[in-house]
Amino acid sequence: MAWHGQTGTRRRWIVGVLIGVMALGTAWAPAAQAAEPIKIGFGMALTGALAGNGKAALMAMQMWAEDVNKKGGLLGRPVELVYYDDQTKPAAVPGIYTKLLDVDKVNFIVSGYGTNVIAPLFPIAMERNLVLMGLFGMANNEKLKYKNYFQIMPSGPNPALGWSQGFFEVAAKQQPKPQTIALVGADAEYPHNALVGAREHAKNFGFKVVYDGKYPPSTVDYTPIIRAIKATNPDLVYVASYPPDTAGIIQAAQEVGLPVKMFGGGMVGLQFAALQTKLGSKLNGVVNYEFYVPEPTVNFPGINEFLARYQAQAEKAGVDPLGHYIPPFSYAYVQILGQAVEATKSLDQKKVAEYIQANEFNTIVGKVKFAPNGEWAKSRVLMVQFQNVQGSDVAQFKKAGTRVVLYPEDWKSGTLIYPYSKAQK
Amino acid sequence: MKKTVPLWVVLGVVVAAFLFTRLGGNRYIYFAGYFVLQYIVLATAWNVLGGYTGYVNFGTAAFFATGAYTALVLILAFKATLPVQIVAGALTAGLLGLGIGYLTLRLRGVFFSIATLALSVVLQTVVSNWEYVGGGKGLSIIRPKAPALFASHAEYLFVVMVLLAAASVALAWWVQNSRVGRGLAAIRDNEEAAECMGVPTLRLKLFATTLSGCLMGVAGTPFPYYVTLVEPGSVFSLDYAVNSLAMPMIGGTTTWVGPVIGAVLLGTAQQVATVTISSELNLLIVGIVLVAFVMLAPQGIVGLVQRLFHRRSR
Repeated sequence: MAWHGQTGTRRRWIVGVLIGVMALGTAWAPAAQAAEPIKIGFGMALTGALAGNGKAALMAMQMWAEDVNKKGGLLGRPVELVYYDDQTKPAAVPGIYTKLLDVDKVNFIVSGYGTNVIAPLFPIAMERNLVLMGLFGMANNEKLKYKNYFQIMPSGPNPALGWSQGFFEVAAKQQPKPQTIALVGADAEYPHNALVGAREHAKNFGFKVVYDGKYPPSTVDYTPIIRAIKATNPDLVYVASYPPDTAGIIQAAQEVGLPVKMFGGGMVGLQFAALQTKLGSKLNGVVNYEFYVPEPTVNFPGINEFLARYQAQAEKAGVDPLGHYIPPFSYAYVQILGQAVEATKSLDQKKVAEYIQANEFNTIVGKVKFAPNGEWAKSRVLMVQFQNVQGSDVAQFKKAGTRVVLYPEDWKSGTLIYPYSKAQK
Repeated sequence: MKKTVPLWVVLGVVVAAFLFTRLGGNRYIYFAGYFVLQYIVLATAWNVLGGYTGYVNFGTAAFFATGAYTALVLILAFKATLPVQIVAGALTAGLLGLGIGYLTLRLRGVFFSIATLALSVVLQTVVSNWEYVGGGKGLSIIRPKAPALFASHAEYLFVVMVLLAAASVALAWWVQNSRVGRGLAAIRDNEEAAECMGVPTLRLKLFATTLSGCLMGVAGTPFPYYVTLVEPGSVFSLDYAVNSLAMPMIGGTTTWVGPVIGAVLLGTAQQVATVTISSELNLLIVGIVLVAFVMLAPQGIVGLVQRLFHRRSR
């Protein structure tokens, strides 16, 4: 009897537990479903040539996810970033994104950093009609015309032209008006595109091209190139370069002495603390593009708070301590996606894409509206001049005054010191 | 022992791969599979010259790129289909192999290896200055629709790469078990002695460079449709040279199966590393495994297994 009694008790106990578990399961099911994260997947350059920028971009995106989750997530669900290192290799992209979509089941994809890793992403996004947010791609959608692509670099609907517009606008206003120009750049993807635009501008603004040359990206000594340019005696020198060549060209220009009126334009690398502190006062007088500088006229809601948080973490993370170039924009491109999801109250790719296409967004990089080709509807490439740079202290670049905005007029914060040699004194 | 792989074995593998794609499932398997299969072709190709003949080639990327750029030119000029691109890529890279072989096979050892490395640098400089194929900035292409039997390009490219891998391995099998293979082995062991014994060394070495180059080029031909961007930095990546050398070394260089084992092991490890731990460990994995094998098992996995069996049979 005792055995029966025990069995009966045990059975009742088991049934009770089962019922309890089922009841709890039923009660928790909606909560668990509601708590299922919205996954955003991407590959990012965490190693390879663009790793420095890729890591900074990732940090900014993680800051956005933190901010959103603190406020309760998107549509009441937490946001989760799922990412892999694309090693700055386009060939790694198809595998990574297929894994993200088919195995990790992400809800949205955004691109990694740079034109070359965005290009292989198009067939995958187009095959499945996905929203594709792009991070600093140069004219990726020119041929494909994919309607769900949105790119955050503010180079405008015609990136090749938008990139150098400011340099030529500023030059054309100087007195006496410059007459001749030298164009030089690395034989690589970005410089090639930038020089195409610069040539067109030179023609439109009536500058005579006296030098138009390319150099291999592996070039070490830039003195012969600068000497060749000097021999043509140009008024303006437009340079489209990547960070290693940017440093080499500026140093060579200092050594050789370049008696030109304006120098710079499309030099990548001068936006980062590493080159700014390395070159120091050699930068004075250089006119170059920027997307954000801490000038009083370029003050968007939330940008200062973002930069303060970013800069506090940057040193420990080993990324650019200023964070003026990629980080605010990598925060903004997921910010836009998040705003579109909230506004449409949907994870439907078509609805979200249509919303992004039709609306303007308030982001930490200002108001963003996209053109039909997915680029910014209006270019906002800033043309700045380095002024008053002294020594190699990074703190001076965190404040206003070392990179004054010359163009566009809406953001202008100072005047050009003209010619180049005057600014160097 | 049969000296050739029956055609039906190759066809059987391809049909099985095709049927596998009909099962559906996630496409990641096809991309990961493509990555590993591509290295089976490259490692097998490298082994024909490096393993069977003993001439170490550091210029894998040059031949791979020849295949990729031949395909790109055909896409741009004629919108050629993938099978046409593969045949043309094989011919172009094979001819390059023949030419390079003719020019460099008087060099031996490290001098030959340096010459092949130089070939990569020269070709990269040439395409970087060739505007038609995008120059240094590269060129994006738009893929046409996948063939009717396939749901997408992922499945199509996977099956194509299965075919190329199976055909490459079958060719390597044939070479190994034929008079040609014995001649190549004689060259590897002692070229002077082989010459004295009447082995037509120059002809055989030219055959090896041509076949090796041809197969490496074939591996590169689907690249434009796989990545949809062809730019010198990607196509001439050091990864191809390092992996295609490391895989046969790890698997074993004296038989056709060595490169296959090496490619499957290392390729899978790299693919897994890419989507699990940080993929910066990819080449580190290759390096560590390579050093370990060179020190502990210089004959590769195949040699290790043979040694173990040999000991047991004693």
